[in-house]
Amino acid sequence: MRIFAKRRSALLPCLLAGLLALASSVSPSWSLTVQTLNVVGTLSPAEWDAYRTRFIEDDGRIADNANGNISHSEGQGYGLLLALAANDRVTFEKIWTFTFTELLIRDDGLAAWKWDPSAKPRVTDRNNATDGDILLAYALAKAGAAWKEPRYAAAAQKLAKAIGKNTFGRDGGSVFLLPGAEGFNEGERPDGPVVNLSYWIFEAFPVLAGLAPEYEWNRVWREGVNLLQQTTSGRIRLPADWISIQRRMQTKPADGFPPEFGYNSLRIPLYLLRAGMTDLEWLRALKQRWSAENEGVAVVNVVTGQVRERLNDQGYAILAAGLACALDGTPVPAALKAFEPQLYYPSTLYLMTKSWLGEKYPQCV
Amino acid sequence: MRLASSAITIAVLGLGFAAIAQQDSPAGGQPPASPSPTPNAAPAPSGNQPQVDESALRYFASQGDTRRVNAEIARLRALYPNWTPPSDLSQLSAGTVTIDPIVERLWNLYKEDRIAEVRAAIAERQSSDPNWKPPEELVTALDTVEARRRLTNASDSGQWRTVLSVATENPNLLTCVNVDVLWRVAEAFAKTEQPNRTRDVYTYLLTNCANPGERLATLQKALSLLPDNQVADLLQFERKTGDEPDNFDSIREELARRRVERAANDDKMTASAEDLATVERLTRNSDEPGPVLVLAWYNYHHGNPARALELFKTALDRNGGNKAAEGYAMSLRALERLAEAEVFAYDWRDKAPENMKIYLDVATALLAQDPPPRLETRIVSRIVPVVTSQRFPDGAQALGWFSYNTSQFQTARDWFRQALSWRADDEPSAYGLALSTQRLNDRAAFNAIVAQWRDRSERIADLAAGTTPRAAQQRVAPPQPMAPLEPGPQESMRSVPVRAGTPRAFVEHTTTAVEQGFTTATAGPRASGSRNCLMTRNPDGLAPNAALALGWCLMEANRPMEAASAFDQAIRRGSARTREEAAYGKSLAYLRKNLTSEAAVAAAQAPQTGPRRVELSASILGQRALAAYRDGRYVEAILALSERARIVPEQTDLMLIRGWSYFKLGRYNDAEKVFRAVQRTGYSDEASVGLNAVLEARYPVRQ
Repeated sequence: MRIFAKRRSALLPCLLAGLLALASSVSPSWSLTVQTLNVVGTLSPAEWDAYRTRFIEDDGRIADNANGNISHSEGQGYGLLLALAANDRVTFEKIWTFTFTELLIRDDGLAAWKWDPSAKPRVTDRNNATDGDILLAYALAKAGAAWKEPRYAAAAQKLAKAIGKNTFGRDGGSVFLLPGAEGFNEGERPDGPVVNLSYWIFEAFPVLAGLAPEYEWNRVWREGVNLLQQTTSGRIRLPADWISIQRRMQTKPADGFPPEFGYNSLRIPLYLLRAGMTDLEWLRALKQRWSAENEGVAVVNVVTGQVRERLNDQGYAILAAGLACALDGTPVPAALKAFEPQLYYPSTLYLMTKSWLGEKYPQCV
Repeated sequence: MRLASSAITIAVLGLGFAAIAQQDSPAGGQPPASPSPTPNAAPAPSGNQPQVDESALRYFASQGDTRRVNAEIARLRALYPNWTPPSDLSQLSAGTVTIDPIVERLWNLYKEDRIAEVRAAIAERQSSDPNWKPPEELVTALDTVEARRRLTNASDSGQWRTVLSVATENPNLLTCVNVDVLWRVAEAFAKTEQPNRTRDVYTYLLTNCANPGERLATLQKALSLLPDNQVADLLQFERKTGDEPDNFDSIREELARRRVERAANDDKMTASAEDLATVERLTRNSDEPGPVLVLAWYNYHHGNPARALELFKTALDRNGGNKAAEGYAMSLRALERLAEAEVFAYDWRDKAPENMKIYLDVATALLAQDPPPRLETRIVSRIVPVVTSQRFPDGAQALGWFSYNTSQFQTARDWFRQALSWRADDEPSAYGLALSTQRLNDRAAFNAIVAQWRDRSERIADLAAGTTPRAAQQRVAPPQPMAPLEPGPQESMRSVPVRAGTPRAFVEHTTTAVEQGFTTATAGPRASGSRNCLMTRNPDGLAPNAALALGWCLMEANRPMEAASAFDQAIRRGSARTREEAAYGKSLAYLRKNLTSEAAVAAAQAPQTGPRRVELSASILGQRALAAYRDGRYVEAILALSERARIVPEQTDLMLIRGWSYFKLGRYNDAEKVFRAVQRTGYSDEASVGLNAVLEARYPVRQ
């Protein structure tokens, strides 16, 4: 019912959106809070087993089978979170052991993002990816609390402090999340700072703020919302994966990246929904775009609106289904209910969606 | 960071003490220098035996599992050749211990290096039995393995601070069992600007660890991370006795090779005979081009291009590549074997920028010879596209002179124009262009170049003054080896504002006279040396005699500053005789530019024969006097003149300067005396001016 009522009240802002695009970023018409997730025990053992046996090796490494079986900090972070969701402490411990010994080697305490089994040394890019760091810290924090394991809690705190210290950019009055500790800020590239809105894993912010309260998590969180509103206020209403915020009031797709709403950004609605930020008006527009009658989940050029690639894997389709469930109460179609993992990334998105639906919207699944 | 590194130093030193104590204790040696105890909780092994993790072995023994015990002993022996199994294993199996199958499984996994699975299994067991605890040794073993992995991974990714912090938190890693870890920690210290701590780690290792292969490898690591003197210090730990003595000769050889290498490219540094002999030996004992190249460059830069040539040839035969080819071409050039050098360098020109540079250099030198060499069309026409594609102004200029000297004036003009388009301020090319256009009777172009250059180039201004075409032809016309011995046209035609009594006219005159005297005296080298100095040439790399000849040629062309640097090259490389001659030339060059003190310095660069010394000193003092006079420092002018008068009789014009100096100082009697003396030598006009001035000064009222 609550969802229905919200939908009605959202009509007015919807009409005014064009006129008040900028104003809305200053005084949003929805509540700025994150609903916490419990996570633990929200995945069915069968689905988790399917995922685990397909993507997780004995040494705790999650292999991205669409990318030459490399591993990355993001994958390890998702793996930890899903293991927690499946209440699988054994696998969690494995994934953590691999992450700790192989990736958590940077001088600044962040994780090296890329690990290639066919390269020597295995870490082929020692840069960090901030979303990976956030996922790791968040999963560790949740697991530490759920399983009362001080090793996880301590590691989570260390990472949270490292994230706050090294990846928060500052430009005038705004504090934002840098996609990596190096290479994205002002002065580090001609169009810097550059951000990636899908690196804001909103649900993690209050948790990490509790671990490292000396950093401005809330301002960064809010800046993510503001940037999202701003970059979705144009004609196409989709943010590019990589955005230059050099001119804060006139952001643009970052140089050297395709100006696309792509594999990165399509996670944004999932993160918003998982954090309970369903009031955001943009989600309605996106639900419309993603509906079966329209173009569905796709890679879209944010300048021309042209679709470059339709994404049909059930892991992408369920993003639209989850959105429809959260906004309209529409049940997830039967065709999406059986998990058939093929590729690492969509399969991960599938379980991330399923785990959240299982906790918050069991009636849809 | 500071904290972490000091902590690790303590750890390393602590271990050092522990090890020293172990070594000393059987003999009842002195106690450690500091009461610092070992931070290592693991039991200290006896002697130099590595610290081997025997926990799994002991566990299997306690279970009475002989098959696994033997397998583990075999595994540990393979890992640590010096290790011997503990003797108390049988006692362990005596006691009956309750067998916990999970623990056995854990150790098995651990043995197979499946660390994540051990952790997972512990977690699994604990989730079903929250009170269960894994064996303490297993936890320590896991922590240690994980720490070593993290340290290794961090080191592989250059995360040096992580390396140091992991080492600090896990001092039990820092033992001879993990020499690789010690090496990585040492490297981390070096990469964080703490070379003394790097040295401490190596010292620890060389003092305590026994494996000779690892000891030698330690010094090899040191070679890449520590300054040479610190590496040399570490050689003191070489063990010359015992079962497995060290042999650090290869390290000594490398240090010697480095010393020669440093001297190889610096002609002011010499290598010791011992080091040179070591490198010679290295060249014989291996097929590597490296040591040969070092020796080749050393010879090249130390006045022995002939030997350098041989060595570069050897290096080439050993696939020494671009550097060997570059040196080979440079040696040929230094030996003035220009035609060969061109042929050789041509084939290598595209291999590297240095090879291109030496090719252009050689080709330019080849073309610029005077008289022009007989060159095959093939050679010239293959030089042309290279010069063009590289936009090399000196090459274009050389092609200009080559064309000019072979009477192809149109081609010459085009090349000089090309050179100027690549380097607008290239005076020799402008001069060449002026000469060429003159020969082509191209008045408009001639006038244009003169208008542009008149103020910047005296010789171009002289051309315009109209008297020099003949002289110019003479200077560059090919077959006249004994060409002009009279002072060059520049001297005779220079338009110097001459006022009566001004010193400048005198200076030009005497300098020329000095050089004339020299010309007749040493016509030999000057006439036989190539006079190909019309164009700009870098004298570096020229053989001493060639540099000397170039110097004289440039003097003749009235380009004293370039001449000075050519003479410099001859002074650097030449024999005593060449040096004397070059120092003389350099002094004259400076005198020509009125750089009196530089001339004096140059004259002192090599001992001069009597007459020349007198001649130079007289010139220098004369110029010094004139300079002082010009600047109004009359006392100094008189002092310099008096000093000069002690070695040579004072010439009339200098007597006039003396007279005017006295006059300026108000010493009218002295002035009058001098002017009267001049009057007696026949220079009555100049003397009269002086005498009148004295009279006027004495009796101004009469005016």
